[in-house]
Amino acid sequence: MTQTTIRCLILACGNTLRGDDGVGPWLAEWAEEKYRGDPTVRVISRQQWTPDLAEDIAGAESVLFIDCSIESAPGYVSLISIEPSVQTQGLATHHQGAPELLALARDLYDSLPVKTALLSIGAGSTELGEQFSEPVLDAIPHACGLLESTIFEWTR
Amino acid sequence: MTQTITIDPVTRLEGHGKITIQLDSQGQVEDAHFHVTQVRGFERFSQGRPYYEMPSLMARICGICPVSHLIASAKACEAIMSVRIPHTAAQLRRMLNLAQMVQSHALSFFYLASPDLLLGMESDPVARNIFGVVAAKPQLGRAGIALRRFGQHIIELLGKKRIHPGWVVPGGVTEPLEPAKRDEILAMIPEAYANIGLALAAYKQIADSFKPEIEVFANFPSNYLSLINEDESIEFTDGALRLIGPQGGVIEDGINAARYTEVIGEAVENYSFTKFAYYKPLGYPSGSYRVGPLARLNIVESMGTPLADQELVQFKQLAKGPVESSFHYHHARLIEVLHGIEKIEQILTDPLILDKHVRAIAGVNRLEGAGQAEAPRGTLNHHYKVDENGLITWANLVIATGQNNNAMNKGVLQAAKEYVNDGKFTPGALNRVEAVIRTFDPCLSCSTHAFGQMPLVLTLLSPDGEIVDQVIR
Repeated sequence: MTQTTIRCLILACGNTLRGDDGVGPWLAEWAEEKYRGDPTVRVISRQQWTPDLAEDIAGAESVLFIDCSIESAPGYVSLISIEPSVQTQGLATHHQGAPELLALARDLYDSLPVKTALLSIGAGSTELGEQFSEPVLDAIPHACGLLESTIFEWTR
Repeated sequence: MTQTITIDPVTRLEGHGKITIQLDSQGQVEDAHFHVTQVRGFERFSQGRPYYEMPSLMARICGICPVSHLIASAKACEAIMSVRIPHTAAQLRRMLNLAQMVQSHALSFFYLASPDLLLGMESDPVARNIFGVVAAKPQLGRAGIALRRFGQHIIELLGKKRIHPGWVVPGGVTEPLEPAKRDEILAMIPEAYANIGLALAAYKQIADSFKPEIEVFANFPSNYLSLINEDESIEFTDGALRLIGPQGGVIEDGINAARYTEVIGEAVENYSFTKFAYYKPLGYPSGSYRVGPLARLNIVESMGTPLADQELVQFKQLAKGPVESSFHYHHARLIEVLHGIEKIEQILTDPLILDKHVRAIAGVNRLEGAGQAEAPRGTLNHHYKVDENGLITWANLVIATGQNNNAMNKGVLQAAKEYVNDGKFTPGALNRVEAVIRTFDPCLSCSTHAFGQMPLVLTLLSPDGEIVDQVIR
């Protein structure tokens, strides 16, 4: 059986029942549709990032993490590079951040993607509900564009 | 004077918990309680919903063991429908439940317990987590992550979602197993065997160094309850309940879901939202019992699979009668993982496993129904009443953690008496008292319903109720 090389792994996180927190899964669904015919792009969407994802990360050439941010201004879209790091303060069993997952991939599988970044969208509201706030709705086209251009650059 | 010490990382429990330890006038431990401080409410807000929605609704109680809730709930609905589900559906559900047991036990052992076991109870709390395990024992870290992934991937393949799959429905399952999925699961089996072999060998190597903890980690005689097959082998999805006493003798056998409320009562204590289950004929608290891996292995005569049977023989040699120390839950958990892998392999070779007939259809034929299953943490019972339109009028869930509640409280007291002296926590005391609770792997989210962060507060109270010492994890 031939294993396809994953040139880019899109790893989204969020809860679709918590307002803007669902923007990560929404973008993952959009990417899934967009790259449906491209076996080198893989999309994984989870409510939380858990340690088992380290193996998927270790096996990919590049990883684009997607999450909402409660620290950024509502609707603010950013793309920042991510380095592996073990953040022990407040470490949770059920959830790791992107730097911790990269560190796990490195420590467990001795492998790291060549390119890694976090695409985040500032949340306006994470109250119970399936609707996005206005700022996040307005930001989605820009986030999609940034996602697409990043994948294009990484996989060309 | 109130003193607060804050320690990170956050606790390694499923849900919110609080421990208070009451001192006498000499500063010695007089009493201890494990509090569960959230309210679940599922029984209440499910009222008025159609019975067939219940499995999906009830699975939302927990993100760790939703499958057990799905199965117990579906079985309660099938009692209302008066149907017997097709053989293939029963086998597929059994595999799903075993996959969940494997992933949940892997989480409990590798993520929650192994930092204590592999790095030491007194090790630096900052590194006492899964990252610390990965750094110190990378091969074991990989094995743990892979075992959890094994279980979760099977759940995803069968139910299409790793958490809260909607595949289990009243009457069976929504779709048959596809050959490609069967082959994919079979291909994962050899690696799973290698990983659990590694874990069992590592555990046996270190277990002897925890003799002092084994002595005081909820180490006392008790009753035990679990499902068992007619051939005396372990069962997670069907079978009937057996209750054994402290010497191992059978107190009552063949307790099916319909008789559950006849023999099992629930007591309430004012310090916890989790109830305290007990065997009615013995009263409360004498009728309290333990459930989960330790209870299951104490009750069964065989695991029903060859490799796990070899391990069961060794396990039963730990004591002349039932194995009493809750520390041995860890060992029992690993043996169950091995059994789960073997059993999944067996199920996949069932000649009817790809059969397309996987669902029985019926409407409301009875106004009351109950279903039971073994969750990773122990026995789970769902009991519903409906009106003639099938709308829920009453529901009650008895969760594993509630059934272990009395033993957990007694265990905390036993450990506190050992590790708390002169009104202060000794070094490592906090972690050891917490570790007693971890052996049970309680799911506080199931036993009540948790939301948000998962702190554990440990409070030391003077005789007049003043807080002497407090640790927030």
